[in-house]
Amino acid sequence: MSPLLDIRELVVRHGPRTAVDHVSFTIDPGETLGLIGPSGCGKSSTAMAVLQLRRPDAGEVWFDGQELTALDERRLRPLRPALQPVFQDPYGSLSPRHKISDAIAEPLRVQGSWDRTTGPARVAELLERVGLDPAHGDRRPHELSGGQCQRAGIARALACEPKLLVLDEPVSALDPSLRAGILNLLAELQERLGLGYLFICHDMALVRHFCDRVAEMREGRLVRTTAVTSPSPPR
Amino acid sequence: MSSELPSMDPLLSVRDLRVSFGAVQAVRGLSFDVHEGEVLAVAGESGAGKSLTARALLGMPPRGATVTGSVRLGSDELVGAPRSARTALWGRRVALVPQDALSALSPVHRVADQLAAAVRSVDRTSRKEARARAVAALEEVGIPADQARAYPHEFSGGMRQRAVIAMAMLHQPDLVVADEPTTAQDPQTRRQMLDLLARRTGATGTALVLVTHDLDTAREHADRLLVMYAGRLVEAGPVEEVFARPRAPYTAGLLASVPGEGLGAVTYGAPPRGRGRPQAAGRFPTAPPAERLAERRRLPAIAGAPPAPTDLPPGCAFAPRCPLADATRCRTEQPEPQTHDGRTVACHRWRELPDDPAELFLESL
Amino acid sequence: MTFVASLLTPVRTPGGRAGLTRLGCLAAVLSTVGLLPWLSGRDPALTVLRARSAEQEATAEALAAIRADLGLDAGPLSLLGSWASGLLRGDLGTSWVSGTDVLPSVVAGLQVSLSLMGAALGVALLVTCALVAPVLVRGRGSGGAFAAMLAAVPEFLLATVALLVCGVWLGWLPTAGWQGPVYLVLPALALGVPAGGLLGRLVADALPAVLEERWVELWRGAGVHKARISAAALRRVLPPLVPQFGMVAVGLTGGAVAVETVFAVPGIGRMALGAAKSQDLPLLQGAVLALLTLGLLTGALAALVRRRLLGPALREAGLTLPAARPVRAHPAVPVALGAVLLTCIGWGLLRDPYTVNTTARLRAPSWSHPLGTDGLGRDVLARLGHGAASTVGTAAAVCLIGLLLALALGFLPSVASGASDIANALPPVIAGILVAAVVGPGTGGAALAVAVISWPALSAHAAALVQEVRASTFLTAQRAIGATPWWILTRHVLPSVAAPVTRHALLRLPGIALALASLGFLGLGAQPPAPEWGLMLDESRAYVERAPWAALAPAVALALLAALAVSAGAYAEGGATRAASVRGRFALAFAFAARRSRKEALQ
Repeated sequence: MSPLLDIRELVVRHGPRTAVDHVSFTIDPGETLGLIGPSGCGKSSTAMAVLQLRRPDAGEVWFDGQELTALDERRLRPLRPALQPVFQDPYGSLSPRHKISDAIAEPLRVQGSWDRTTGPARVAELLERVGLDPAHGDRRPHELSGGQCQRAGIARALACEPKLLVLDEPVSALDPSLRAGILNLLAELQERLGLGYLFICHDMALVRHFCDRVAEMREGRLVRTTAVTSPSPPR
Repeated sequence: MSSELPSMDPLLSVRDLRVSFGAVQAVRGLSFDVHEGEVLAVAGESGAGKSLTARALLGMPPRGATVTGSVRLGSDELVGAPRSARTALWGRRVALVPQDALSALSPVHRVADQLAAAVRSVDRTSRKEARARAVAALEEVGIPADQARAYPHEFSGGMRQRAVIAMAMLHQPDLVVADEPTTAQDPQTRRQMLDLLARRTGATGTALVLVTHDLDTAREHADRLLVMYAGRLVEAGPVEEVFARPRAPYTAGLLASVPGEGLGAVTYGAPPRGRGRPQAAGRFPTAPPAERLAERRRLPAIAGAPPAPTDLPPGCAFAPRCPLADATRCRTEQPEPQTHDGRTVACHRWRELPDDPAELFLESL
Repeated sequence: MTFVASLLTPVRTPGGRAGLTRLGCLAAVLSTVGLLPWLSGRDPALTVLRARSAEQEATAEALAAIRADLGLDAGPLSLLGSWASGLLRGDLGTSWVSGTDVLPSVVAGLQVSLSLMGAALGVALLVTCALVAPVLVRGRGSGGAFAAMLAAVPEFLLATVALLVCGVWLGWLPTAGWQGPVYLVLPALALGVPAGGLLGRLVADALPAVLEERWVELWRGAGVHKARISAAALRRVLPPLVPQFGMVAVGLTGGAVAVETVFAVPGIGRMALGAAKSQDLPLLQGAVLALLTLGLLTGALAALVRRRLLGPALREAGLTLPAARPVRAHPAVPVALGAVLLTCIGWGLLRDPYTVNTTARLRAPSWSHPLGTDGLGRDVLARLGHGAASTVGTAAAVCLIGLLLALALGFLPSVASGASDIANALPPVIAGILVAAVVGPGTGGAALAVAVISWPALSAHAAALVQEVRASTFLTAQRAIGATPWWILTRHVLPSVAAPVTRHALLRLPGIALALASLGFLGLGAQPPAPEWGLMLDESRAYVERAPWAALAPAVALALLAALAVSAGAYAEGGATRAASVRGRFALAFAFAARRSRKEALQ
């Protein structure tokens, strides 16, 4: 099985500082790779480079058999939907001016696959899949709780029919009682849709629970990659 | 909680504390004690009313808030006391470590001058002596004297945190209230700051009320834990006992939903060598697909979201999310806190909570 | 949140280009001043000839001789060159009208104006203290609305009212001339009170937010006295505000023109206005140059004071003030004010503003003339109504132009910020004088002058919004779903920017109308017999003792307009905050802790 995502020697520089220093890893379909490290270690820069939202300064990003860094923006655009981010701030990632259903329908409209007759049903299906009421679609982000907003953000990503989700601390801005629900949703979606996840987090216990493998970053470099085995005896 | 240490009068005694904004009550009848030298963690989610409680303990309610009930510090009643009586306590007997200590120092004043202002306000000493005491206090938390005259932005984050603690502890108050002092920080800095705070308060026998939304923080640093939900007490007791055997379904759900020990161990492989591309991109044997099933990852979870203070359900506020709730009493009647063998719980059905409450919360997704 | 911050990288730092724009704008203004004789287009030789010898026939030979004498036949570049070289030698030329050297008159005028501005600054500081003290004592915003009212009253209106009340009716103080300290009182008040209102508003708006900063909690909790905290809060507020104080001082130069004109003070402002009206361009050049230099020097001084206040250690701290909490206003206030104004205007529009009836001069208000008649027997109500159409209508056109420019230039933040710096150093009255000197006084020229001054603020706002939207996470998400730049621009960036900037433009409408009225008052805007509010006020000054209503009507209308500007602005700001916090109706007070912590957790 060829990997879904294959990052080779990725380098990202912010001015004179090297934020990501020759980082390489792979993610298989249906696999979760945890990316862990102290703040400022280059986790988020790696995520932005994987998503091609910040073009890397060197290295290769092979995604689904294509080398993304070689493509210009115009040729990259049709491939973007397959690689979707889920952000930390549930409110900031949705436009405050648009209704939730419009936000979820937007990927369909952008890709020209919006159909007036089937579109609303598709949006309703996505809402249901992430555990939201159809009624939530008529609200705006500030009328929802943080957990509901995060679900809406996931629904928008799903509307793109992605193969890989880049989860940038998807639960750390949420209240503790809402976190487990989002994680369960992500696990269920992965199981059903076979998505690959790049899961960025700074909570080791959470990463151990949620990920198949864990990559640790320090000062821009990948210091170790480890497999999480399970089940295991309690410590 | 008052039954725990019957031999000693509590340092701080809170009875039926209510804080409201107009018609909306954000803290709805809270009672607890804090004893001398004790560390009490007040845990809750956003909107639970914990920050307002912290302000009320200090006699510093935010503008527009109405406080009723009773907050007694020793023999002084804070609720309804005139401002001058409350300000007389600040610094001397109670002090505050505010949220996010990183921005808690004035950016335009030298750090030592900020502490000196507090010295001079309380003790009316000479300018020179005040500065000497400020520098000494900073040295006690590990800030060298030659850096005391710097501005906060010239300090590292850790140094700023230490300066904030030094300022709060300047007059060795009886009680320090720390309101989520470490919210925005990564786990390592958070632990360092709380360790220092606990050490400094411990050295002087100062009681500490630690407001947090993070149960792990409570576990590591507190003697006792008080869990709040929608402005009310849900459960209180010695930290280890609450963690070992929670009594309220809310606490049980929160504890169960945090992945912790026993859920998966990490086997460390050899780190990739050098900068070159590691062998097959560091591909370690992945867990077999059967092990990656969502079943392994399914966490016990609390359904729904905390209610807005404007829109509270009748009866127990947690009932709409509670797997134990019945359709009658829990939905109509607010549970009152009851104390049994040193543990307080406010739940109609706490006796029915199973031995492994995680099972209860596995159903809901 | 570094994830989002990394998005900011494509947005270039505007510092360098803003500096270039600033230099470019300065050069443009200076060249405009230098080229005034050429730009004005009308043949100045005629002006000069008339002024020098009224009897002489305007023969071609006589005019040519004067042209050669003035150096006008050599073309614009050599004109600019000779003016600039004269400037470097300290020679500002000779007045076309009086034939005397310009420099001594400018220096004399500057001395008078400087002492007037000094006294006005003193008044402004007193007003500021009076406005700030209650905020410090009560610890919350209070005088905001009152201070805003004071700041919104234009100097020419205040000067006229002060002259009427204290000078004419009560007879306490001299109203014209410059013969001693007593003559300073009324002009200094008229000039200083609006400036003090503005200063007080800046500080009083910033203080409550500073008093809610976290360090205040720590200080209070550690037992620091209230007086010490208040002093520390002031110390915290002032450095970031100093540049704006500089702007207030610059505004004084514009206000001085109106105030000196009303009180017949022989200062530089009155000199500039007189020179503009009599087409005495060398004197105008000298006076405007002096005013501009004064403005720029004040700006530089403000920058210096700021550096001094901050000291070397604090310069690195990047001090900014927390966002001010808007004073909440009840919608009834602007609605009521607007209704009163609209009723008067509507009623007046139905009547005839131009018919001169010499038998009905200076009539008191009656049923046939609800607001009385003016010196030519024209109906004041009718002129008020029709005047609104020209004043407010022109202001609306100016606003629209500014809005379109802002939306177009919002994507070039460096241009907007550089230009707004210069616009801030150039009060509308000075711009009006310059424009009037070039194209002659008139409604179009006044509109052009106000438009030139008012668009940069809107553009800067638009630029800030564009930058904010571009940096937002949801825009990143748009790129991630494969949206084209055009889609993102039209569906997300423009709609997010257009609504607030349009609201801002609407809010500026009354202010722009007041600026137009002040130009009309000075004779630089609409010309008689046009019914323009500022012009009406000016005309009625001549017979104010006999017919106070003729002056009162436009004065009250202008004051209502100022009040409308302030209350509508406060309501709109409050509305924006309300919309942002629908999630908890009382979120402002209640969620103060939760929200803050969440925001910071995300950074």
